[in-house]
Amino acid sequence: MTQLVLGQVLNGAIIGAMYGIIALGITLTFGITGIVNFALGEFMMIGAYATYALAERGLPYPVAVVPACLIAAAAGYLSNKAFFRFTRNNLVNGLLVSIGLISIFESASMLLWTATPVEMHFVLPGALRVGNIGLPKMKLVVFAVIVVVIVATYFGLARTWLGRAAFAYAQNPEAAMLMGVHTPRMETAVMLYSTGLAGLGGALYASLYSLEPAMGGVYVLKGMEAAILGGIGSLMGALWGGVILGVIEAVGSIFLPTAFRDAYGLAVLVAILLFRPSGLFGDE
Amino acid sequence: MIAQALLWGVLYALPLFVRSDFLLTIFIFTFIYGILAVTFDLIFGFTGQLSMFHPAVFGVSAYMTYLLASQYKLPFWVATVPSALTAVVLAVVVGSICFKFRLKTFYFAVVTLAFAEMIRLVVMNWNSLTNGTLGLVVSGKPTIYWPGSGVVAVRGPIAWYYLTLACLSVTVLICARCLRAWMGRCFGAIRLNEDLARTLGINVFRYKLLAFAIGNALASFAGGLYGYYTGYIDPGYLGINQSMEILAMVLLGGQGTLLGPIVGSFVLTGLPHAIDLRAEIRAILYGAILIFTILAMPRGIVGTLGAWKARRGP
Amino acid sequence: MALEVRELSKRFAGLVAVAAVSFTVRPGEILGVIGPNGSGKTTLLSMMAGLLPPTSGSVIWKGREIQALRPDIIAGLGVVKSFQNPQLFAELSVFDNVRVASHLALKRALGLRRGLELLGAARAVEKQLARRVSEVLALCNLDGAAGQLAGNLSYGEEKMLGIAMALMCEPELLLLDEPASGLGRDEIRNLEEVLVKLHAAGTTLCLVDHKIGFLRGLAHRVIALNHGEKIAEGAPESVLNDPAVVEAYLGTGHAHA
Repeated sequence: MTQLVLGQVLNGAIIGAMYGIIALGITLTFGITGIVNFALGEFMMIGAYATYALAERGLPYPVAVVPACLIAAAAGYLSNKAFFRFTRNNLVNGLLVSIGLISIFESASMLLWTATPVEMHFVLPGALRVGNIGLPKMKLVVFAVIVVVIVATYFGLARTWLGRAAFAYAQNPEAAMLMGVHTPRMETAVMLYSTGLAGLGGALYASLYSLEPAMGGVYVLKGMEAAILGGIGSLMGALWGGVILGVIEAVGSIFLPTAFRDAYGLAVLVAILLFRPSGLFGDE
Repeated sequence: MIAQALLWGVLYALPLFVRSDFLLTIFIFTFIYGILAVTFDLIFGFTGQLSMFHPAVFGVSAYMTYLLASQYKLPFWVATVPSALTAVVLAVVVGSICFKFRLKTFYFAVVTLAFAEMIRLVVMNWNSLTNGTLGLVVSGKPTIYWPGSGVVAVRGPIAWYYLTLACLSVTVLICARCLRAWMGRCFGAIRLNEDLARTLGINVFRYKLLAFAIGNALASFAGGLYGYYTGYIDPGYLGINQSMEILAMVLLGGQGTLLGPIVGSFVLTGLPHAIDLRAEIRAILYGAILIFTILAMPRGIVGTLGAWKARRGP
Repeated sequence: MALEVRELSKRFAGLVAVAAVSFTVRPGEILGVIGPNGSGKTTLLSMMAGLLPPTSGSVIWKGREIQALRPDIIAGLGVVKSFQNPQLFAELSVFDNVRVASHLALKRALGLRRGLELLGAARAVEKQLARRVSEVLALCNLDGAAGQLAGNLSYGEEKMLGIAMALMCEPELLLLDEPASGLGRDEIRNLEEVLVKLHAAGTTLCLVDHKIGFLRGLAHRVIALNHGEKIAEGAPESVLNDPAVVEAYLGTGHAHA
């Protein structure tokens, strides 16, 4: 029994890390620029399909990941330049722009690859044995990469001038501008990075699972849940929120019907929002 | 006022000079979704609460109306009543929790979404009752007592057109009455400045709950109508996509108005069919229209027209 | 029908804003509350209106403790506060702002018969309401601005609108937080007229202000606060000449002035 629980916890944590990288994108975007990018799942989808397409052309997987992230980031840059930057601090407008983009990207993906799921050839076969539990090596790699990226982001922002500038911008853009922070560039940087992160998440996802155009929808919701759970604005909270969400869903499925998997996370989310709206690690 | 009367007049007279079944069908869907959009706007545009709960009552009442009617051999209209009551109960429970904890816009949306999703999962997995993801096929039609002909089944585009238009009219009438009365002033005050409303003696919790309950109760009728009209009910009725559609209709048409949501419903229902291209291209255009409208006309079609008219006024 | 403040205190983290203040507002009087900036006047008034929960102590109105009640309930009981920074519905017209404020008055006048409005059978009610609103606007000299958007008013007009809205709630006790601050001389005279008329009609007033001249002419009794404590109470002249009060305002060394 303990083996089962432990196995599920580990699996849940790994999936949770995937939620976490999207959550990081959401929390960065909303926390710093005040823009609600509900379409972040689409950039994950772009990264995933780009990786697939490049790998099909013969590029080895690790090499394919980099341009895939860049393509996702480029799409993010264009989306911001054209649309998102006008929805700052406007939840409903941001939502509607996101809905529109989701429609556009998903349909484009359908045109290019159809709704039939596609799969990459095994990237890293084999599993590691921890006690009685078998963990696929690739899943461990994915987990490690995500954790490293999120922690690096945290340290990158917490300890550097860039981070302080970002924080100042989040609090008061005009004041930040007067203090020499190049505000449009800050916003662009955040959008590039968060969509690039989502693209990375997609690229990693592609190594493990099959892809379909609608894949972004589920992940952006989970990412949103994770970001809120951890506390919007908290970077490490995004990772923790994701992992905790993944674990709750996995463990919940052991003792309760698997069909309601999503509901367990949702129930916890509602409880948190009612009693601790700033999330587990957020302030204010 | 005159413009409104004219509009309703045109709508009621339409089948007299429009013969195309295709066009009538678009209007039927416009009216059914219009009920959803108007009632959503009551909660969102007028009272300021971004609710993602509408699909839940839409779907639950669709299932309930059909199941009650078929299981207990009830006429359609009788079956809609318990469905509406269920919608009220759900709304009161969810609303009480949300408003008691004073959830702000974004978090209110998230929590209502979470509850709607949980209900969807229940519906989707209650195979014995709802047939799960396979959905239910609706046999049978709503019946109306028509003086002279007795009890008649609603059949054919023209009958459905008038049925749905009538339901929409009643919905708009009820909402308009509420908004014109002291209730509507409370809703507006809550939307503009909740704390100030409280100091003026308005029980903010009560009126938020009232708006939420009324909006969801009226929306439940759309569920019954949609299920019977399309002949097929599945858990997708309760999905997030529905929330997005309704939100898009209201924002496109003009939030904070009663006609705006109907206009939005017409545009978003009719447009996909007006463009005779493959589904994916239509979806891309749909997305483009949404983005363009919200950025160029943030107040929606009716809202922008209203502002334009006000600027030209005396 | 008195309001009694009993040992009311408010502490914010390390700061004590109000320290065990006790006094009574007698029915039908005009009570002034003075004190230098930071003396706790606004905090005190907010607690009396139920907008801020006290750390300890109680506020008793008509025999019941009200400090833990919701602001809308307290307003319904007859205690209404106007704000130092005018709180308005900026997107509505002046007329509509006051109309929203008629919620309590309508409830008291009609009770459940308000439901008639829903059936469209309320012409008489609407007319009566509109008349009431116009009366209040005229009283506050805002009838000329009735159609304007509240967001476009001048500061003085905004303050008067805030008071008009408070009036519309038919208060038995009106708490005014710095009503004269930011107003010009004419506007202050206008305000004084309104308050005198109000008082003559039976409303009890409790005003916080640091314009001493304004309170001197208006108040029957005055309380002085400093650093959250009550340091003097009595007739305006005696309080204003009280050495502790003078020292609080002007600093030590002027106590003899």
